[in-house]
Amino acid sequence: MANKLTVNSLRWAIQQIAPQMEVSAEELNALDGQLGDGDLGVTVVNGSKAILGKIALLPDDLGGSFLKCAQTLMTEGGSSFGTLLATGMMSIAKTCKGNLSVSWAEISVLMGGAIEAMARRGRSNLGDKTVLDALEAIRAALEGEQDPRVMTELADRAAAEALDRFRYLPAKQGRARIFSEKSVGLDDPGQLVIKRITEALREAK
Amino acid sequence: MMKKVMNAPQAYVDEMLSGLCGAHPEYYRQFGLQNRVIGRPNAPIEGKVGIVTGGGSGHLPVFTGYVGEGLLDACAIGNVFASPTVDQIAEAIRVANGGKGVLLLYGNYGGDVMNFEMAAEMLELEDILTQTVVVADDVASAPPEDSQKRRGVAGMVLGFKTAGAKAAQGARLAEVAAVAQKTLDATRTMGVALTPCTVPEAGNPTFEIGDDEMEIGMGIHGEPGVRRGPLTTAADITREILEGILGDQPLANGDKVCAMINSLGATPPEELYIVYGHVASKLKDLGVEIAVPLVGRYATSMEMAGLSISICKLDDEIQSLLEASCDCAFWKV
Repeated sequence: MANKLTVNSLRWAIQQIAPQMEVSAEELNALDGQLGDGDLGVTVVNGSKAILGKIALLPDDLGGSFLKCAQTLMTEGGSSFGTLLATGMMSIAKTCKGNLSVSWAEISVLMGGAIEAMARRGRSNLGDKTVLDALEAIRAALEGEQDPRVMTELADRAAAEALDRFRYLPAKQGRARIFSEKSVGLDDPGQLVIKRITEALREAK
Repeated sequence: MMKKVMNAPQAYVDEMLSGLCGAHPEYYRQFGLQNRVIGRPNAPIEGKVGIVTGGGSGHLPVFTGYVGEGLLDACAIGNVFASPTVDQIAEAIRVANGGKGVLLLYGNYGGDVMNFEMAAEMLELEDILTQTVVVADDVASAPPEDSQKRRGVAGMVLGFKTAGAKAAQGARLAEVAAVAQKTLDATRTMGVALTPCTVPEAGNPTFEIGDDEMEIGMGIHGEPGVRRGPLTTAADITREILEGILGDQPLANGDKVCAMINSLGATPPEELYIVYGHVASKLKDLGVEIAVPLVGRYATSMEMAGLSISICKLDDEIQSLLEASCDCAFWKV
């Protein structure tokens, strides 16, 4: 692992995430289909594959790289989940603009900005049982951390804890909100995507 | 079992769009790499405020059908009941941009709102000025104190009409946006669903409902309504829907309105006219005149049976803009 987060770290992460999404697609479709249209697995496979196809084109400027990832996601599909993630990446892109690297400790700060932008765009709050809760749990767990190996462990544990914490709570946002009571006992599909991502990073580190 | 006249479900929207534009080249032209932007053949119209909408397929004439003179300039269209991509929306805005800014006028659905906002953010970098009006006319979808959470349904067509007419008169972007907002603030809609529809790629009905049941207030994608019960008469259905609408926006003796009786797809004009008669008589009792009656298929949900009633309280400006000329394949005034 490098001392800092660079475009190469980003490329490495994408290379771990894309194949994991293929493995998890069916599970995500099934979970999403309980209350929604059941295409989240397809969405994340298409999105991550499209970004994987662009990694050679990512510029050294981290801001440019995150922007490229966000734009790729926006071309790929119309799903709210894709747009939300793209919103987070745009926020990170703006903060990193002009930097070839950021320190590992900076990740938590970047995530904070991304979560804020995503909450605004999605008109949702922490605690609504969405992907934001998983990201916030990870952000909090990574605060002040410097060692990427430890960070992948912490992130994966935080993602698991977020799933556990929200499983028996009702959803307050998105399509699942309409079926709020039925969402009790079901994992939030967006949170599960994050868990599968952190798993892939932890196992590969 | 799904019974549809189609080829591969994945090709449903693209084949529909190419047929639509092939049949009506004087009104519609496909733009963008994926052909998912439908614009006027002579777009952009220099010196005119552009009007863009967008959303999922499956609602014709909404959204694409209302591209035309005195109406919309461009539309980004997604798969059935799915939002268009940010890219497609951005392209639609570019297609509509005649240098005077672009009004973004679309229904209040999470994915559409996010994607339009994202597209507008991207276009700020290209110096294209946009303003947004979100349609939220469905009174059954949230109580008055949460009216900003309401979904956008058939009432949006009235917004397309008045904004389109205002833009055609050469108004500025802020004026076009203000008239769209004023029209929609004066508009309430509520519907009833009798049978579901099926999204081609899903293959199953969007919801289940008994042969003898109806659901008052159900959303056009099968979102739960306010009450499910045995199917009653046209008179009772009209009474219940009008109570919902007038409870939210009371009308007084001497008011003039536009009343739209809209089929959700399968319900025939015969039944719409039966309902229209009841709406007219109820409003007459209140001393309210229907100055602009609209009866037909304006905003549908494929083969769903059911209808919606929209009431727009008119002032002189809204009325004259609704009566101004417009021309598209589905609506001529």
